[in-house]
Amino acid sequence: MEELLEILEDINADVDYETETNLIDGKVYDSFSIVTLITEISDCFDIEIGPEYLVNENFNSAQAMWEMIQRIQEEDE
Amino acid sequence: MNLISVQFLLFCAIVVIVFYAVPKRFQWIVLLAASLYFYWTSGNRNILFVLITSISTYFAACGIQKSLEYQKAWVKEHKGKIEKSQIKAFKEKCKKQQKTILVLTLVLNFGLLCVFKYLHFAVEQINQLITSFGGATAIPDAWSLIVPLGISFYTFQTMGYLVDVYLKKTSAETNYFKVLLFVSFFPQMTQGPISNFKFLTTELFKEHTFTYRQYSWGVQRMIWGFFKKIVIADWMSVFVNDVFQNYPSYTGITTLIGAFMYSVQIYADFSGYMDIVCGFCEILGIRLTENFNRPYFSKSIAEYWRRWHISLGAWFKTYIYYPIALSKWNQKLGKRLRKVFGKKVGQTMPASIALVVVWLVTGLWHGASWAYIAWGGVNGIFIIFSLWMEPVYDSWKRKLHIKENSFYWRAFMTIRTFVLVTFIKVLPEVGSLQDGFGLWKQIFTNHVIPHDLHQLLPFAHSKFKLLALAVSVLLIFITSMIQRKQPIRQWLEDHTHYVTRLILFAFAIIIIIHVESLISDVAGGFLYEQF
Repeated sequence: MEELLEILEDINADVDYETETNLIDGKVYDSFSIVTLITEISDCFDIEIGPEYLVNENFNSAQAMWEMIQRIQEEDE
Repeated sequence: MNLISVQFLLFCAIVVIVFYAVPKRFQWIVLLAASLYFYWTSGNRNILFVLITSISTYFAACGIQKSLEYQKAWVKEHKGKIEKSQIKAFKEKCKKQQKTILVLTLVLNFGLLCVFKYLHFAVEQINQLITSFGGATAIPDAWSLIVPLGISFYTFQTMGYLVDVYLKKTSAETNYFKVLLFVSFFPQMTQGPISNFKFLTTELFKEHTFTYRQYSWGVQRMIWGFFKKIVIADWMSVFVNDVFQNYPSYTGITTLIGAFMYSVQIYADFSGYMDIVCGFCEILGIRLTENFNRPYFSKSIAEYWRRWHISLGAWFKTYIYYPIALSKWNQKLGKRLRKVFGKKVGQTMPASIALVVVWLVTGLWHGASWAYIAWGGVNGIFIIFSLWMEPVYDSWKRKLHIKENSFYWRAFMTIRTFVLVTFIKVLPEVGSLQDGFGLWKQIFTNHVIPHDLHQLLPFAHSKFKLLALAVSVLLIFITSMIQRKQPIRQWLEDHTHYVTRLILFAFAIIIIIHVESLISDVAGGFLYEQF
């Protein structure tokens, strides 16, 4: 989770990722930030985030992203 | 059936009465029957293409869904009993099958769209190429086909649904007639919005109860839409057409005013249409995807495109931008560039490549001509340039002590964006690409200062009409300002009932005064119908 928070803070340090649950729906992240975010997560956790995971619910909060990463890692095993 | 006609209003009234008169579980059938009737009366040949799209999509989606379910059941049954590699091989086999169905259906439907919309343009280009190389034989140009009504809109919407089924984002609909309604729902047939399957079908297939508030808000929005279309867009079109056709004989300032008027015209035209259909759907208790969010208040071109024709932008983002930006080859390229040129280049390049494709396709979607391709390209260049220049701009702003939230800075950025958007917008609308550049040149090179109103606005033969138009545009501006804080209809409701009535009455009067435009040459079709 710490690695994920580092990535998120690198993209936008002005957000409180402990409480923010509306990153995509609330337009905190634009499409360029989303592409950067996915690239960084894929690189850091060595996973492939397929297009089926590209739904707002998976990226609206740090917690949701963390759960998605774990799901992908489980599926890859 | 033209939306700006008494016939359409009667049709809407009948649909509303029957919709609420039948048992709620049959309401969607009323919408289907109305949609098919609307299509039939708009030219019975159109219905054939809707049927091709709906039938092919229905069978493809069901086929993909069946394959997905079989795959899931098979994996569940064999997990732990056989080698992981065997499960992986089976999954790949199923995926291949699903992909084949998807690709074939996409080729069929986008193929139809291309034949009707782009074949003529392609043949023209090939013939020009042959002639320029001195060739004598040319391909017969017999491909100028009439584009089926709404094909760009419903093809995109329906193919989005199919891709969502393939990506397991939604389940396939098993009732063909429900798919047919999703494809052919008449209010959004001619100009969108391009809806997401889950969102639209939830709205269409739930049970709807009549409420006075829904009715009242819906009617208000329809009146507002008619006002924008009939009073502003249609009137404005007379002036704009005059300037666009005669710009070489007008001064730079007059041509510039004509260009700004075109920006207002296209907004009033397209958003007016959206208000009419959204208002009608609101009476039925159906929400449609909003296509506008006060776009001329944007502070950058990228923001403008997030607030103008929102549903088309969302479609391109979901089905073209992300798949390209996040594709394996593009990500690999990003990683390599990062190692050589640093993080910023590695992050920005994949997005820039995706944006180039998105904007060229957006240009082509709007029209099969070099002018539209150039228009898409110019939009793309501005957006990509801003992406790369962002750190430089940030540094300038810090050095110049510019506060981004200050009123003056926001006002400057809003006006700057409106001016840029206007210049880009007019490029494909004057005629050919050459004319578009000619109009730009006229604005910047003809510096004659007009000495009176007639020389400034030679196209405005009636001062009264010009004044009425200015007041109407001011009304849209004031409404947009109010909407920044709260929905205008809520604002109207919160104020006295009489004020609401008075304003609506005033609108109705203005529309009635100009009702001649309903039957005269002034009343034009909607600009986005051509797309």
